[in-house]
Order: sequence, then structure tokens, then C-alpha cells
Amino acid sequence: MSLEYFITYKAENTYEEWVHEAYWQFLVVPEENDSQQFIGVDFNNSINARHEFSINGYGFKTIRVHPKDRFKEITFEANFKLIKKKINPFDFKPEVDRVKSYAKIQELDFKVDFDAHLKTTVFTSVPNEKKGLFEFDKDKSIFDNLLALNQFTYKHIQFDAHATDVHTTLKEVLEIRKGVCQDFTHLFCALARANGIPARYVSGYLHQGNGYFGDSQMHAWAEAYVPYVGWIGFDPTNDILADTNHIKVAHGKDYVDCSPLKGIVYTAGKNKTVHSVQVNGQNQQ
Amino acid sequence: MENLKNQIFSSYKRNPVLYDEIYDKKGQVKEVYSKLFNLYGEHSISDFVNLNEKAKASFFNQGITFQVYDKKKTKEKIFPFDLFPRIIPPEEWAIIESGAIQRSRALNLFLWDIYHDKKIIRQKVVPMELISSSTNYLDQMTNIDPPGGIYNHISGTDVIKHNDGQYYVLEDNIRCPSGVSYVICNRTALKRALFGVFNHYKTYSVTNYAENLLDLLETVKPNGVDAPNVVVITPGMYNSAFYEHSYLAKTMGVELVEGRDLFVENDFVYMKTIQGPQKVDIIYRRIDDAFIDPLEFRPDSTLGVPGLFAAYKKGNVTLANAPGTGVADDKAIYTYMPEIIRYYLNEEPILNNVHTYHCSRPKELKYVLEHIRELVIKPVDEAGGYGISIGNRLSSKEVERVKAEVQSNPRKYVAQPILSLSVHPTYIDKNESFEQRHVDLRTFTVLGKDKEFVLKGGLTRVALKKGNLIVNSSQGGGSKDTWVLKPQ
Repeated sequence: MSLEYFITYKAENTYEEWVHEAYWQFLVVPEENDSQQFIGVDFNNSINARHEFSINGYGFKTIRVHPKDRFKEITFEANFKLIKKKINPFDFKPEVDRVKSYAKIQELDFKVDFDAHLKTTVFTSVPNEKKGLFEFDKDKSIFDNLLALNQFTYKHIQFDAHATDVHTTLKEVLEIRKGVCQDFTHLFCALARANGIPARYVSGYLHQGNGYFGDSQMHAWAEAYVPYVGWIGFDPTNDILADTNHIKVAHGKDYVDCSPLKGIVYTAGKNKTVHSVQVNGQNQQ
Repeated sequence: MENLKNQIFSSYKRNPVLYDEIYDKKGQVKEVYSKLFNLYGEHSISDFVNLNEKAKASFFNQGITFQVYDKKKTKEKIFPFDLFPRIIPPEEWAIIESGAIQRSRALNLFLWDIYHDKKIIRQKVVPMELISSSTNYLDQMTNIDPPGGIYNHISGTDVIKHNDGQYYVLEDNIRCPSGVSYVICNRTALKRALFGVFNHYKTYSVTNYAENLLDLLETVKPNGVDAPNVVVITPGMYNSAFYEHSYLAKTMGVELVEGRDLFVENDFVYMKTIQGPQKVDIIYRRIDDAFIDPLEFRPDSTLGVPGLFAAYKKGNVTLANAPGTGVADDKAIYTYMPEIIRYYLNEEPILNNVHTYHCSRPKELKYVLEHIRELVIKPVDEAGGYGISIGNRLSSKEVERVKAEVQSNPRKYVAQPILSLSVHPTYIDKNESFEQRHVDLRTFTVLGKDKEFVLKGGLTRVALKKGNLIVNSSQGGGSKDTWVLKPQ
């Protein structure tokens, strides 16, 4: 059983003054992996500027646009088609042995292998006085602790689409205890890492058929590495495991590594960007 | 005795505690300097001053200047210079040269390792924190194989002579070390003013730097490129080292470009020219990592080239030095250099390292706080002498401030014993006489594929303020032509 997805990503940019030079880089193309089979992408923009595909520093596919003519408005639209295998997120071999797993995360080789996703970044550092916000219960397995952390994060922050923006740090989020998927994910990653578990920020699309939080933008969730099992996706915004409804684009240490649109625009005056995302799915045999 | 018949040194005061480069402990002029000393001695101090002024004017006229950053304004200056050279005898140079190559090669292997298997960390030779907590470590460089396996194409190794007469390395600069243009300009100015004197010694040339640099850069061209197109990229004319960037481009015979002169298409780099786009294969970049590509690193950078990193990752362009080299010139890594050299090369270090206390280690932090007056405190990630505190020069108020700063961010600081840099007679304008001033030496090493080059010379930097130990040009240092003598 699998699902066929049609995804539309749209970004409309309007500028007060003429833009004479600009570069954009989109990190919006779904990743190809065990559960995601990529069928096609159709990318276009309103001024017919040339686009090209490339690979960013972390190995993910990007689309770059560098218009040769001046403009005041530009709209980008990407349409993706892919097949997603139906996943039962609980369908994996459990950890072999709890004690062995906890010993594993203490090994130097483990720390070296997962260094990139164990270290804290500006967006995943918890203020000192809140370092012990969530401590693992060593009588439970690592996976069970991560499930508890997922729920803890979900309960600790209240979803609010207007309380934070892309520059909000965890310190501020922990003060107001409100935020969006990005903030939930940063907190989850920070606390998993504080307990010695590699965690990475995932950016992607959420099929919102079931009343999940995600507000027709790109979604964010986390992947945590469980020793002897592998990377497992946790969606702390919805207190669920990542499943067939989660279509992954990229992962990184935090939002900065995964931001869907990076643009260098040389212009005076104000500008406005509106993003929208649509995900439609259909069952396949 | 020599002093008496030598007019220009008649008022030279020799502090016997300091290691003087030209006088030995008994006050006799060293053999290697004696010819020079006698030649200068035939002239009066005013002869010397006249020549010196002419030499300095030629620097202004050629635009050989640099900018000094201040909180309020930046200033354009010439690098103070005097016509009394420093001489390095062949047997001392042999140590410096082989030591500089050894360090550069070890650092290159270290960089390869920490961006690939990280064996040196797994085998506990250096602690993991040095890398995981370094802001100069670039995750994006993981598993990238730079062309020819070279990361630090250009290294600037700073050495000093301590009062035991031995050379010590102060730091390894492997981001964008500058200063080589002054080496060449100092030589040109000195030869023009005092050819007769220069001709009495068999000194190695320094003007072959650019051709060697170009030659070695071409050994690390991207795969499949036949005759590589090399450019030098500069942050622009407001950068303190702009003169050098333009000088190097000119003497290598390549284009000097800014970020806006380049663009990336289909992961290849092109230069805009009036004949249309021209592909670029090797970039000697004098822009820091954070600014080279706004799509990959700092998004607010207007100095870089959007898409450059992706082109690099694909192997379509060589960047010299490679991105991410900064992690290895972190001053905390410096302290592990003896271990790093032994680990990769299975050799003993040729040049000495200065003992370093890591404030990140509680025991050493305690020592540092208790002995702060005997130590130099350095931030691990600043270049150009900024942020350095010398313990015995601090007021008690400053001591408290530095202590508090170190305690609040111990990872950021290391401390070293205060070294006694050797001194060299230096002409001091204000006093119209030669005086002892502390000097160091920046050497320049270039690594290519299976080839290496050390400039036989270097930039002797002089701390012009009496007693001052910081020689960086940004901190008011001057320079001297440096003669490396050929073996007899």
C-alpha cells in the first residue's frame, strides 16, 4: 500500500522598488529515500527566469534562480509528485538491550559519529537554568524516553502561529511557551541532545488530512537516533511519530540548515513574501 | 670597541637581559652582522635618515598602505619600515624552513582527518571538544576531498626567538595570512636605496613568491581542467590588505576580482568580462569562510559569490585556502601541535611550541587566574593581535576585568608564559637613533600537490613602542627587510 502525493509550494514576492539583481535558493524538493519515491518536479516562475538544480553543503537538492532582468514581482511555484510508502512508525525492531543502548551513547566513537547532531546551535541551546527540563528515566528504554519527550514538548508549548518568528531563540520560546512547529522541533532536539541522543531538525510537508497542526506552510519535525535501531521521526507539534503523512525534504542541525528559501536580493524599499503549501494525497494499490 | 667607531650606533643602549639579534652577550657584533655594521658605520645618522625618508616616500607613492580598524574610524597608513635589515644565517634558516613545512603538512593532514574519519579524535590524541565547540569547523566540509588533498595551500607561521636563542612558533595562520607583499616591497625599497650594501651579502631572492604561488596553485586544479584560469578574490578596496590582494594578482598575472565580478551557473564559476563569461578554475580567496557564499554561509554577505560552495563541493573549482581551515588555526589547536605532528608524520617537532594553558580545563584555569600577572591571555579565535592581554602590563582593575571575562567564557581563552622576544636595532624616528625593539618573523609556506615552497625570507615585524611585545601591523607594528643568507 502506498500514497501518491501532489504537493504545491508557492512563494509570492513583491517589492516596492525595482530589483536589479537577485539570487534565490529553494530547499523544497522532497528527499528520495526508502519510503519516498520521487516521480517528478515542475518548477516555474512568473518572469520566466532560468532555474537550475544543485546540491547544497549538506547534500540536499536545491533549486536556484538568478533572473537576468529587473522586476518588482516574482512568484515561484513548484509542483511535486511522489509516492510514499505506508509506514507504521512502530514497526521496527526494538532496542536490543536497554543497558547496552545507554552504554553505546557514552562511547567516544558514537559521539564522534554523531557530533553534528549532538552539538548545540544558537537555535537549540537551552538556557543553563533550564538544562534539566527533561531528564531521561534510565529505567525506560531510549525510545520510550523519546516518546515521553515528544509528549512533554507538545504539552510544554502551546501552538500559536503568531507568537514567534524565524529568529526566535529557544530562550524566548521557553519564556512565552508558545510557538510553531519550528519551535517545538528546536526544543525537542535540544532536550534530546542534552540527554546524549543525536537529534536532527527535519523540514518537509505535512498532509493535514487529520486535523494536525501545520497551517499550510512547510512543516518541521525531528529525527532522533536510537542506538541499534536508527533514525526515528518524532513530530512534537502533534505528539505523534512521523508517518505516511510526513514528506521529508531535508534535515540539519536546526532551522538555519533547512530554511526553505534563501534569497539575496539587491533592492531598496520594502518587500513582502507570502508562502503557501498544498498537499494532496490519494491512495494507491 | 666597535661601538665607538660606529656613529649611527653611538647612542644604542643594549639591555643585557634581552636577546639582541646583532650583539652577542659580551656586546660584540655577531659575525654575520659585522660586514653590514661596518658598512653602515661609515655613514652618519643623517645620511641614514635621508635614505630612510626616501624609502618611506616610495611606499606612499606606490600606494603600499594598509587600513587600521578602530571603533570609530579606519585609517590608512604605511607600514613603518627602516633600512637596517635583519639577517638570518643559513643554519638558523634551515631549522625555520623545515619546521614551517613540517607544521603545514601536519596541519593539512589534520584537516583531512577531522573532515573525514576523525581518527585523531577517536584515538584520543586531541579532545573532541576542540572541534565540536569550534565555530570555525564547517560541517559542510565533511567528506569533501579538496583537489590534490590540500586544505592549507598558504600558511603563515609566526616564529620568535626567545632569550634562550631558540625559535618558538607563536601561531599558525592558515585562513588568509597576509604580509607577503610587504616582504617583497621591503626588499625592493632596500635594494633601491642601498644596493651597494645589499650586494655584499649572498641573500636569497624573495621576488619569486608569486611565480611559485601560481605554480603550486596550478597543481591543485580541478579534475579535467587543462590550463586553469586562476583569480584572486578580494573583499574590496576597504579591506586592510587590499594592496596585497592587488599586488599578488598583478605579480601572478591573474585577474583580481570581487564577488560581484563572478557568478555561478550549473555549478561552474564564471567571471564577467566584456568578451562574455569566462570560466574560473582556481580561486585564491582572501575572503573569510563566513562570507564566501551567502546561500551557504552568512546570508547577509555581499562579498561572496552565491552558489560558490556548491560548485566547490562538486569539484568544479578550487578554493585556496579550502573552507574550514580556520578550525586548525584556532589557538586551542595550537597547543596540540606537537602531538599532531607526531601523530601524522611520526616525527619530532622541529620548531618549539610555547607551553599553553587551556582555560577550559578547570585545573589550568585555576593556575591562570592565580598567575595572571606572569601570563599572556589570548582569545582562541581572534586574529591580528586583537583581544590579547599581557599580565604584567595590566592595572589591578584590568586584572579583575580580564579574570572575570576568562571565568565567564573559559573555552574562549588560552594563556601562555610571557615570552621574551628577541630584540633588533631599529631606527626610531622620534628619537633619531637606533634602539632595541622586539621582533618576530612571519614565514610563508605554500603547499601544492606533492610540492611545497617556503619563501626564503619573511616578514620581520617590529613592535615600535618601547617594550611592547605585540608586533601586528594593526597594533602599530613596523617591519624590516629580512635577509636569509645562502650557505657559504
